[in-house]
Amino acid sequence: MLAVWALASLVFLLSRWGPPSDESLGLSNAADLNVGTPAAPSARRQMRREALLRQGLAAPLFYFSRVADGSGARPVRWHWNGRRNQYHRWLGAVLRGNLGTSFRNGRPVAGRLGAALACTVPLTGAAAALALAIALALAAGLARRPWWRRPALALLAALQALPLFVLATGLLLLLANPDALNWFPTYDQADAGNGPAPLGFYLALPLLCLVLSALPELTLQLEAALAHELRAGYAVTARAKGLSIKQLIRSHALRNALLPVLPLIADLLPALVAGAVVVEVVFSLPGMGRLLAEAAAARDYPVLVGGVLLVGAARLLALLLADAGARWLDPRVL
Amino acid sequence: MRTPLLISLLAALLASCSEHSVAPNQPVRILWAHDPENLDPLVLPNPNASDANNLLHLSLLQVDYSTQRHAPALADSLPRVRLSGDSLTLITYRLRPAATWDDGRPVLARDVDATLKLMQGPGLPNEDARAQFSFIREFRPDPTDPRRFTLVCQGQAPEFAQASGDFFILPEASFDPQGSLRAYRLAALVDRPATAPPDSVLAAVARRYNQADPGQHPERISGCGPYTLARWEKDHRLQFRRKPHWWADALRPAPFVLRAQPRQLDFVVIPNEANATLALRRGTVDVYPQVPVREFRRLQASAAARQQLAFYTSLSYDVVTAGFNTRRPALADRLTRQALSLLFDAHALLRATQQGMGQRTVGLVRPTDARNYADSLPLLSYNTGRAAALLRRAGWHRLGTEPTAGWARPGPGSAPQRLALLVRYRAGETAFETIGLQFRAAAARLGIAVELRPTETGSFTPALHAGDFDLYIRLLKGNPFIFNFAPILHSRAVGEGNLTGFGTPASDRLIEAVAAAASPVLKARLLRKFQVMMREEMPLVPLFFRPNCLVANRRLSHLYPGGLKPGYAAAAITWVTPAVAAAP
Repeated sequence: MLAVWALASLVFLLSRWGPPSDESLGLSNAADLNVGTPAAPSARRQMRREALLRQGLAAPLFYFSRVADGSGARPVRWHWNGRRNQYHRWLGAVLRGNLGTSFRNGRPVAGRLGAALACTVPLTGAAAALALAIALALAAGLARRPWWRRPALALLAALQALPLFVLATGLLLLLANPDALNWFPTYDQADAGNGPAPLGFYLALPLLCLVLSALPELTLQLEAALAHELRAGYAVTARAKGLSIKQLIRSHALRNALLPVLPLIADLLPALVAGAVVVEVVFSLPGMGRLLAEAAAARDYPVLVGGVLLVGAARLLALLLADAGARWLDPRVL
Repeated sequence: MRTPLLISLLAALLASCSEHSVAPNQPVRILWAHDPENLDPLVLPNPNASDANNLLHLSLLQVDYSTQRHAPALADSLPRVRLSGDSLTLITYRLRPAATWDDGRPVLARDVDATLKLMQGPGLPNEDARAQFSFIREFRPDPTDPRRFTLVCQGQAPEFAQASGDFFILPEASFDPQGSLRAYRLAALVDRPATAPPDSVLAAVARRYNQADPGQHPERISGCGPYTLARWEKDHRLQFRRKPHWWADALRPAPFVLRAQPRQLDFVVIPNEANATLALRRGTVDVYPQVPVREFRRLQASAAARQQLAFYTSLSYDVVTAGFNTRRPALADRLTRQALSLLFDAHALLRATQQGMGQRTVGLVRPTDARNYADSLPLLSYNTGRAAALLRRAGWHRLGTEPTAGWARPGPGSAPQRLALLVRYRAGETAFETIGLQFRAAAARLGIAVELRPTETGSFTPALHAGDFDLYIRLLKGNPFIFNFAPILHSRAVGEGNLTGFGTPASDRLIEAVAAAASPVLKARLLRKFQVMMREEMPLVPLFFRPNCLVANRRLSHLYPGGLKPGYAAAAITWVTPAVAAAP
């Protein structure tokens, strides 16, 4: 918990270190000529002060701040700001469950994160479950050293080497293109509505993309672990006692082989929450990955800090679950 | 069990592959790269939010896309402008008698008064509007006509006639049903300092407006425009439905700005270009505005796409510009800036970054503006030899004979000045990156060290404001209506919009004279003089105006494509019947 708090605090403080840009305050760009009547520079300065005041950004950032000394002759002085600072207010609000409001549209951050999660979690959750199930089946199959082992491993290695952006764009241009194979719908054809249900059939292609991207690493690691286990003494004994390779894998080797793969599986949980940025951007899905990427680009810090808190909490949970899983798989683990 | 499932899957597949038939009254679906985020008419944080509000609300004057000029919308005619003394402008409007709100109440002068006061009130997200419209100091209603009023403006500038009518009029009843704002003078609100003690009446109005949350629920401050927002799925789709009985339907002849043809307008948010192009090709989106030039050319090259789509290009008002930080001692003199400007190969850059579309320019005035464009000036030509000669005239000399030897000249103190440039541009903008690379290559031929520093969007503008650059490359957004260069080139704007830090007494006087010129002839003369002066002083290097590319379904007409954003008139679009579409 301490790590999550430290991380979120760091992001909060770093994000507000410099003066906010006019865009993030919702003000027009003074260096453009597309404004009807350009405001005088003094009016712009006044306007910026008022925007800072209204958005609570005029207060000092932290409990203490450095007093600027123009001459540089005197030693650095620090000023105690008391509790009337941005960080104190933010922390108090977060402890009360209030993540603040988005700079961009004034909506509560929790609501934005919730809506994005409703789209992301079912998609990434289904992708993780599918990838895991297929990886288990595939690794078990490969461990039996069938004739297709080498081409399958080569294919998986090639898939792993393929950047996700190329995979996603390739699938989109190949399978949802009137000039190629027009099998899948594009985003605009999906029904309106939040969450995955209205998007329906449209999610098939992003799902396929996510499964294909997660599958190689899981399968290759699991297959290597299984191969290692099958060479162990207990496996040879079991085979000598007449157990088929299938029974051996299912009843004995798989459980042991899962142990080294557990951290990989645990890593999937924060990814479930953070969303797959590339897939969401390519397929235009309104999920967490796209929300956080756009918030970072637009310097929408309340959303960004809220996202960091959420992903941090998910990672914490994943580590706890991984520990519990390791204990279940191997009771010798303390 | 399996056969019906298979059949239904096949049917769904075939349906998704089939051609879409077009009915004349079907919705027009327009593509947006981003969600408008906030539809508050006081905020308008991005162009999409402005376009959406144009469907929900009306201003006194609005842009007529058929003529690319302002035309009366809620006002019944263009305003009457009178000058009073040497510091005031009186602008008189009259509202259309037919104009009503959705509940049937007439749109009256007091709604305009309340809107102006709302734009100046405390506790509201109105800082931008507040600064922009602070020139309107007083609202004078006409005692004999509830629809006539005069706006008293501080100063005398020709653009006041258009700018004074360019804000959305909101119904007083929705945010101030008791009319409590009428007791306040507009000037008192304009001059109200941020530190003034709280006012319970103003606070109540602000609270009521903020509680309505028009940014997310625009229906709560219902406008007198032709459409209502029927659905808004964030980051996905906005659906605007035409009001069945809109007051302007009865106007004969219907002014262009009050035309609202489509029964329904759907805006589909697709940020990814590949996805957007696919949607257009599949016929599930009808209009794709501001198409990236590469996608535009790719679509144009496809025979199948040409059969289905119509392609429009026009010249935008956005000019790609390089700007020097004239506060740097090495760049403080015009000869050095002139020399460096010759290192841009604008002709090749236009081909490389805009596929040859767009147009080169000599200055900040659009080349198609025959009256004001300084056509006597030649276009800048890439010439490293002449650049080197100009550098020598500016006092610079090569530090050696090897190609990487830099340039130096004696500084005011004992330390010599070195010529080395830090070039900033927005990261991720491939066109700017190309320009930066070309400039660096040209500079390297003269032995000038150039460091390219692509800068993340949020840090870019603060870095330019702080003067942390030698040369920037950015898009300067312009407009066809107002020639006022004070925000970007007047010495008073240094530290604000004047990023170059340029400004001389002569240039300040000329910029003020251009802004104040009332007659078109005088304005043209001064604008030409201004362009010549800027060429001489060279604080900015305007490279080229960008094209505005639009692709739409062939069966759409009345798009009025133009350089003015969004580049089409959404409310004027109509579907044509197959017979008409087939006609030449």
